[in-house]
Order: sequence, then C-alpha cells, then structure tokens
Amino acid sequence: MIQQEIPFVLIANCIPVKGANQSLICDLQRNNIVHIPNDLYDIIIKFEGETLHEIKSYYKNIYDDTIQEYFEFLYDNEFIIFTKTPNLFPKIALDWHEPSQISNAIIDINESSKYNVEKVIEQLNEINCKYLELRFFKSTNLNELSRLANFLDNLKSSIISIDFNMPFQQGFDELSLFSFISEFPRISSFRIHSSPFDKFIPPKKAQSGYIIYSQQKVKNEKFCGIVDTSLFAINIKTFTESQNHNSCLNRKISIDVEGNIKNCPSMAQSFGNIKDTTLQEVLQQKEFKKYWNITKDEISICKECEFRYICTDCRAYTENPKDNYSKPLKCGYSPYTNEWSDWSTNPLKQKAIEYYDLKGLI
Amino acid sequence: MIYVISEAEDVTTNYVLEWLLYYKKDFIRRNFQDVSTLNFLELSNDTLDIKIDELRKVEIKKIWHRRARTRFTPLSLRKIPSMYSYLKKEEEILVKSIENILKKDIDYIGSFQKEDENYKIDYLLLAKKVNLKIPDTLVTTSKEKLYLFFDKHASIITKDLRYPIRVNSENFKITSAGTTVITAKMLSEMKNNFAPSLFQERIDKQYEIRIFFFKDKLYPMAILSQNDESTSLDYRNYNNLKPNRNVPVLLPSKIEEKVINFIKSSELNTGSIDLILSTNNEYIFLEVNPQGQFDWVSKNCNYYIEKDIAEYLIN
Ligand code: SF4
Ligand code: SF4
Repeated sequence: MIQQEIPFVLIANCIPVKGANQSLICDLQRNNIVHIPNDLYDIIIKFEGETLHEIKSYYKNIYDDTIQEYFEFLYDNEFIIFTKTPNLFPKIALDWHEPSQISNAIIDINESSKYNVEKVIEQLNEINCKYLELRFFKSTNLNELSRLANFLDNLKSSIISIDFNMPFQQGFDELSLFSFISEFPRISSFRIHSSPFDKFIPPKKAQSGYIIYSQQKVKNEKFCGIVDTSLFAINIKTFTESQNHNSCLNRKISIDVEGNIKNCPSMAQSFGNIKDTTLQEVLQQKEFKKYWNITKDEISICKECEFRYICTDCRAYTENPKDNYSKPLKCGYSPYTNEWSDWSTNPLKQKAIEYYDLKGLI
Repeated sequence: MIYVISEAEDVTTNYVLEWLLYYKKDFIRRNFQDVSTLNFLELSNDTLDIKIDELRKVEIKKIWHRRARTRFTPLSLRKIPSMYSYLKKEEEILVKSIENILKKDIDYIGSFQKEDENYKIDYLLLAKKVNLKIPDTLVTTSKEKLYLFFDKHASIITKDLRYPIRVNSENFKITSAGTTVITAKMLSEMKNNFAPSLFQERIDKQYEIRIFFFKDKLYPMAILSQNDESTSLDYRNYNNLKPNRNVPVLLPSKIEEKVINFIKSSELNTGSIDLILSTNNEYIFLEVNPQGQFDWVSKNCNYYIEKDIAEYLIN
C-alpha cells in the first residue's frame, strides 16, 4: 500500500539513469527497463528517504495528483518500498571485477583464413577466457564445428560460453542444432545469418543455448557494431562494467580473418599475428588496452543518453573517426528527441560511412 | 596448498576457484563424488601424523570446506547399499575426527561436523543466550499440547528439527525443505499422538534477512517478500515470475553485535543466518545453515563474496 507518512527508498538494484530528455529505471534484478520522465528522476534523487507527505508539501501541494500517480507507478513496479528505517537500505556497490585478464574473445574465419584456430583456443584457455564468439564469413558445417567443440571439451577449457555465428547451410535445421547444443552444453547460441527466414528459438529446458535465424547477410567484420534496443544488456554485470570500462572492448581479444591479433577485428591496429606472436605477449603491450577504460560517460552524446549503462559501445565505427570519444556510428538513437532513425541514411554520417568503406554493405 | 572440499555440481565453488586461478594460486578440489585417498592417520603416545590425497598436514595452508565432505570409501563399496549404509557411518565419524585434528593446526573454514549436527533447537537456545529474540517454539508428540499452542498464537507453522523431509514409501512421497502452516483442519485430522515434531508461532514480517558470514565479515541481504502471497511464508517457495526483491541491507548495530556474539559462541566460521524483522520491529532469529549458499546473495547485492573468500584463502 502507498504510504503517505512512511519514508520511501528505492530498491537497490533498480537504478535510475537520467538522459537528456527522459530517464530510465534499470531493473537489474528482473532484467527490465522502464522509462520515466526526468522530473520523476529528480524527485526520486532529491527526496529518497522522505515521505510522500513531505514531498507533496515541498511542492506546496500543487502537484499532489501527479506525485501520487508517480509513486503509485513506482510502487506497482516494485521499484520502491516504504520503511521507517530508510538508513538501513544502502545503495548497491557499483564496482565490477572479473577473474581473468581476458573475459571475451572473437575469432573470425573466412575462405582465405589460414591460421590455426586450435592454437588460438589453446592460448585463450591459458589466459582463462570465458566467452568466445566464432564468426564464420564462409560456409561451414557441423563436422567442422564439432571438431572445434570437441577440442574445447578435451582441453577442459575455461571457455564456458561459445557463440557460433555463421551463414545458413543445409543441415542447420533446429533439430540438428539443438542436438548439437545438448551434446556441447558450452554452446550459448547459434546465430545463423543469410537465412531464408527470420526466427528466434529460445533455449530448450535445462539448456542455455538458443538459435537465431536472420535474413541479414554478414559478409565480413564490417557488419559488427550495430546499436539496437534488442542488443541492450540489462544486468548488474554490464551495468557495473559500463560504469568503469568500455562495454564492448574491455578485456576483449580478437583474431581477424588473417590471424592478426587485435582488440576488435574491425580495428586497423594489429599487435602481431598468431603465427608468431602469443596472446600473452600482446597483453603485455599497453597500447593494446587503450580503449578498455573509455566509458560511456566520456563519449559525446552517449554521456547524455539514458541507455548508456546497458548499451554496448563500439569504438571501431564512430561518427568522427578521428575522435576516440565520438558516438558509435551505427546508432540511430537521439537522446534529445528519444527517436530511433536509420543511421545509414543520416546525412551527417555519410562522411564516416565513406571513410570506413561501408557503402556496399548497407 | 589450498584444499577445497565441495560437491561436483556446486558452481559457487567454481566462482571462488576462478579467482584462485586468476591469482595463480595452487589449490586442490575434492568433491563428494570423488574418492579421496586417506594415506594414513597415525597416532602413538608421542606422535600424530596425517596424510590425505598425498598431502601432509604441513603442506596444506588453508582448508575451505564449502560443502558435503570427503569420501574415502572406494566406489565399488559405495555401490552396495547394505554395505555402504554401515561404512558410511564409520566414514562420517572419521571425517569428523580428521576435521578436529586438522583444525588444530590449519585455518579450516567450514565444517562437516557443524553441518551434520545442525540441530535447530540447539541453535535457538544459543540465540536466546546471546539475547537474540526467537519465535515461541514447541516440540511435542501430543495433540492436546499442540492445541494449547495453536490457541495461544494467531498462526503456527511446523518445520523439521534437522533433516529436510524426505519420505519415500511405496504409495506416496513427501519432500519438503521449508515451512508449513498448520491449519485448524489439519489439526483436527491429526492423531492424538504423533512423532516428535517442531512447531513455532508464525511471525508477521516486514522482511526476512539472510546473513551470509565468512570469518568476521557479514553480508546481509533483505528478502522483501511480504507483498506476495506465494512467498510470504518462506522465501524458499520461489516465485519465478516476479522474484522477490533481494537487496543489500544493514543491521542496527545492537543486532549486529548480537549476531556476531552468536557466531562466536556457535564456533561457526562460515554459514548463513536467517532472521526476520517482525511487524513489531523485532529482529527474530530463525535458523543458521553452516553450509548455506551465498552466490545469490553475492549476485543480488553485488557483494563479490567469491572474491573476498578467494582473497582470504590466499592471504
Ligand atoms: S568495437 Fe564495434 S566493431 Fe569492434 S567488436 Fe565492438 S561493436 Fe564490434
Ligand atoms: S546514444 Fe550512445 S548510449 Fe545511447 S543508444 Fe546510442 S550508442 Fe547507446
């Protein structure tokens, strides 16, 4: 019940984030976001720990109905509780820790790739990498994939999650893929591009792997970097990592199609080739980590966007390629109007699109 | 060497071990499912020596007894129920003796002994001794006595004295790890005498508090469940669609002091305590679980308990 005389506090893992024109409550426990107007954001921040009665009288009882409505909304969503001891409810700590030098890796493979994938996987294991994305820009088959998955199994690899990204192929039907997933529980997803249809198939009981079929063609690494609401990650790990680090590039290592070791395959700068350089050696180079600590709070426009702690950043394709703190190119969102539009047709972005040679892809 | 005792399926153990790997510290993990080697436990009038899994006592720096216990009995014998039901008892007391021996010289966190002897009545008494409030409790075999207790309180519940209910008969199966409300109808259908059972007054709560503790550190979390009928009795009846709100919480310093006293006098060095904050603003002790889970506390409150534990083990 809404209480007029008992102080309110926010639920600690429901965190309000203010944008230029509207705010969000990020419900990090239930993995959900809800929009709120900025004046409600201000009220929450200013008055947390006080009673509704006090808030209403602060505004000289002119806005009683609105305030009442706001709090009913907060209460119905279980974002707040009423308690006589608000001091006993501390804020949640926003620190982020991860027990590995590299938490996630991308391995790109196309027709002309000649490097040894197993060697990369072995080295990823040595540095305790947990999440691996394998992106095929050529046709592949379940034999090839099971060879790799078996290799990981035999290594007793530290990698607990694999995402396979690959073009549609005969034999990539739901049944076969799910039986593959049940054989290799490490598999988190199959993302099948260039498919004749779009379809999302959620995980089967007691497994975590899911399948996405998409008609989108993904010919090379240049298709990466898209910002979209469907890619938002609403959880405490991403939220806290975003406060302290770059939400895409932190603790990431990649092998591009030629075997070059990079932070991200789309970036020009290579730190050596896997044929003669080890991942461990690359990690010693300070330059390699230069994007790791660029947070959304430092990136122009993003820093005023309410999605900044749940949105994955991109540093490989930005609106101004010369500026390390420029907004991701492939985001069509404006935090000033709260509208999403097609980024690829935005006249202001054409120069950058040309610079990255993305024309043919969109 | 850090020696970790756990179960194969306990992922919480993995999270701690990931940190040990990250810090490049040696450890050995033995699961309940494994067969450990008892090289020897040798004692004479002037010596005492022990070697387990090829490790001498001096080689072990710390022991984290996360869950279950070590097992030495070969797999072939475990498979013979008639044999193993006897051997198991022998092994259990052996594990307790080993624990006692190791504890003398090694920092040993967690305990099979404490887990095995987690008697609710004893801990209620201990809580009472350190001036924590406890619910009115009755253990009886008599319906007559139970009626009096029932009439005295607005509502009463029953739960186990030590072992989660697990009855497997040919015709029916009963399992429960939680709390059940006793209704008037249930009472009227009961026989005049029954097996010894524990009853408690049901306390109307503002919220529940689970305090995971490891050595001197408390990690309290509030479980806000009263709004929701399906969980208002016991948070273990999880409600999946709208999970309870679980948030970091502080204890008033007076209560915290009592909790610390409780932990000290219980001689537990890790575990989980369940408290309730009643609608009358009283903190009431419910129970303690010596091998309680902490991962959900850690995740909901962003406490990084697993990191703290790892750092404790290597320092
Ligand atoms: S920086 Fe951009 S292109 Fe590179 S991996 Fe991240 S999102 Fe993809
Ligand atoms: S403006 Fe920045 S933070 Fe907001 S959605 Fe776009 S990329 Fe993400």
